[in-house]
Amino acid sequence: MDPDALSKAFVEHYYTTFDTNRTGLANLYQESSMLTFEGQKIQGSQNIVNKLTSLPFQQCKHSITTVDCQPSGPAGGMLVFVSGNLQLAGEQHALKFSQMFHLMPTPQGSFYVYNDIFRLNYA
Amino acid sequence: MEEQVEMVGRAFVEHYYHLFDTQRSSLSSLYHQSSMLTFEGQRLQGVDHICFKLNHLPFDKCHHLISTIDTQPSSSAGGIVVFVSGSLRLAGEEHPLRFSQMFHLMPTLQGSFYVQNDIFRLNYG
Repeated sequence: MDPDALSKAFVEHYYTTFDTNRTGLANLYQESSMLTFEGQKIQGSQNIVNKLTSLPFQQCKHSITTVDCQPSGPAGGMLVFVSGNLQLAGEQHALKFSQMFHLMPTPQGSFYVYNDIFRLNYA
Repeated sequence: MEEQVEMVGRAFVEHYYHLFDTQRSSLSSLYHQSSMLTFEGQRLQGVDHICFKLNHLPFDKCHHLISTIDTQPSSSAGGIVVFVSGSLRLAGEEHPLRFSQMFHLMPTLQGSFYVQNDIFRLNYG
């Protein structure tokens, strides 16, 4: 699959899962995965999903503005750089965010998130 | 180990933006032929094309002010991913531009790092 198509497909899948079935994100991380969420470092699928499912909001919707991708090296990894808006239920103004993913291939032919860094973009 | 990754990431970022702001042509020392830059959606490959782009941006003097630096080891043989956010002040412009940038650094044989992947985006609104 063409890397651009792949990264767009991944991004759509990731944020749809986040917005509709947050515990389902567990499939996208492994034990070795790392997340830095607003400066807080978390490792491993279970810890990461615990963090994401305990964020201080129930419903949210991510709208993606930009997706950039580049292959990361001979191991077949893909770097994906996203910017967009995060609308929380009940909040008048959407939050702006940037996020980078480093995706690594699985033996089954799909990808998982090895590195994940999330930052809100304050004005 | 984690502290080392963080130290390397921070030191690199400081060095990178210092060069950018004071001696932009010297950024060529930080990229290789295999390096990739995506600058506001435009894709460039190789130190020559990348440096040509950066040396021909529509401003002379600029100053990067860094707000956040996040680092993680990438899975590739000693690589480090660095995620930066900050503001970019251009000479003569009243309001600074906000930006986010990610670097994927790879070790060189000499024991330093070069930029294998670089993605830059302005943060509007």
